[in-house]
Amino acid sequence: MTLQIFMQTIVNGLFTGGIYALVSVGLTLIYGVMLILNFAHGEFLMLGMYIAFGAFTLFGIDPYVSAPIAALLIFALGALIQRGIIQRVLNAHPLSQIVLLLGISTLLMGLVQFFLSANPVNIHVSYETSVIAFAGLRFSIPKMVAFFTALVIAVGLYFFLQVTKTGKAIRAVSQSRPAAQLMGINVNSIYMLTFGIGTAVTAVGGVLLTPTYTIIPTAGQAFSVIAFVVVVLGTMGNFIGAFLGGLIIGVVEALAGFYLGGDVKIIASMLVFILILLFKPAGLFGRKQA
Amino acid sequence: MSEKSDTILLKKSSRSWLRYLFANWERTQLVISFALIALVGLISAFTKSPYVLGILVLATLYAFVGITWNIVAGFAGQLLIAHVIFLGIGAYTTIVLNNRFGITPWLGIPAAGVVAGLLGLVVAFITLRYGLKADYFALFTIALLVTLKTIFLKWKFVGSALGLWLQLGNASWKNMIFSTKEPYLYIAMGLLALGVIVQYLIYRSKTGKYMLAIREDESAAAALGVNTSLYKTLAVVIGAVMAGIAGGFYVMYVAFVEPPQVFDLGFNVEIVMASPIIGGLGSLAGPLLGAFLNKPLAELIRGMLSAETSGTSLIIYGSFLVLAILFLPRGIAGALQDLYNKIFPHSADDLPGGD
Repeated sequence: MTLQIFMQTIVNGLFTGGIYALVSVGLTLIYGVMLILNFAHGEFLMLGMYIAFGAFTLFGIDPYVSAPIAALLIFALGALIQRGIIQRVLNAHPLSQIVLLLGISTLLMGLVQFFLSANPVNIHVSYETSVIAFAGLRFSIPKMVAFFTALVIAVGLYFFLQVTKTGKAIRAVSQSRPAAQLMGINVNSIYMLTFGIGTAVTAVGGVLLTPTYTIIPTAGQAFSVIAFVVVVLGTMGNFIGAFLGGLIIGVVEALAGFYLGGDVKIIASMLVFILILLFKPAGLFGRKQA
Repeated sequence: MSEKSDTILLKKSSRSWLRYLFANWERTQLVISFALIALVGLISAFTKSPYVLGILVLATLYAFVGITWNIVAGFAGQLLIAHVIFLGIGAYTTIVLNNRFGITPWLGIPAAGVVAGLLGLVVAFITLRYGLKADYFALFTIALLVTLKTIFLKWKFVGSALGLWLQLGNASWKNMIFSTKEPYLYIAMGLLALGVIVQYLIYRSKTGKYMLAIREDESAAAALGVNTSLYKTLAVVIGAVMAGIAGGFYVMYVAFVEPPQVFDLGFNVEIVMASPIIGGLGSLAGPLLGAFLNKPLAELIRGMLSAETSGTSLIIYGSFLVLAILFLPRGIAGALQDLYNKIFPHSADDLPGGD
């Protein structure tokens, strides 16, 4: 393969990886703060897609414009689910937590299938196939927009966590729940906020996918699995790790898709995942476990 | 004081067989389990409706699958989330042996158990070798599910994405193909009865106690000299073998298998998790109580809603799980146990014949 095709594959991989990064940042944030694996994570992405679809078909709102609407709605839904349901199992056996979240995931998928349809739908926008040619490479405009929006949101979220008082409180809780509580931080509010933010950025990831991606109630499942891969790869709870991990997995999948064919590229991610789990379960950025 | 008077009351009644059956909660659960199986048999004697019988076959199978997961997750406390992989592998083993080699399911189903058990052994070996625990183990099993689904979607020999239809021979016991549903139900009931006994024997044995110790506190169990690796492996392999057998029977009953059907988390929730979670994970009667409540209830709700809509079973099983975890964390069996303790308020010391 020529250098040009190789570069093109890398570019495509990075663009997809941007969305993976955004979704995974949400997952790792939730894990870092609440120490639960959000098995319903992909379903929030799927809901984001359907919000964009609804806004587009009902009101003709462009998906990029509906991103903030989706973020707000899913933030509220996520916070509600956290406070009403997940909060009750924070101290339960991990198995109960996983079963509960799988239940929520199944329920959300079922509700969308029931009230909308199990059939795939699409959003057709004028720019869905537009490309910019530069240095012999072709950059798909919707994918580029998705990538840079994801980048901006992730960087913005990073600075929110670093600079603002609320962000610092979130980080404090993720470092030590009791210590944060002693410093006067309302831990339960932080949980609610974190789950809301984590699911909202994921929903935005879903919205950004809609111009180029088929919308289907089960769309979230693949993303859940990929986000798990990314989060483990980038060390569970590590924000920058999740972001870089997303880009890495995006590129790995693109290369695997090129060499092995599109439908088996997930095997490559799974291989990376299993290898990481076996040989470096602490992830790329984790210290060796005691 | 009330303890004493109750014991006397039981003695006075001189119904020693009754006292024997309800001597302790474990044995009472065994009685409940067999009563449920008998109830299924009774219903089947009074109805010819293929719809009702079909629900009973699946509920009985779900109860059996629930037991297989109960041993791994309920007894040994292992986060083997994607347990359905063993069922899927078992289903494929039986149907491939039947279709490609003409091997009778009476051999094909045990073979499914062996193949699934080998997969279980590999899973246990890998995860133990690399010390994967809790969340990591859960994620590993899900990675395995996705990998298997992708492989089976591409693998021509097993029908790839099209799946495999069971090649139907003559309807006969030899081929395990029947024109009515009753024989399927009898086989499922036999399987479930066997599962109940195996589960009880494991629970009563030292092996079972070691598994419970691992669930409660793995490091403490290890410190007390329990070979945790051995008993975790045993739990996973026993659960896998039984789930493989269940998969073999499942494919003989539904006569079709495709990768997105069996290697699927939604199916996993329905067939593996829902029954033991709602019935009471870790209890003996839980998987049966859960399955015989869930499946008919789910069918009832589905029947009330329009048949055209999809997603109802996802909604039903999803909300069952959420509600059970939130409001009935010990399941139906837990509630029944409280009731049992109220009726027979004796302490563990004076259990006649209780271990």
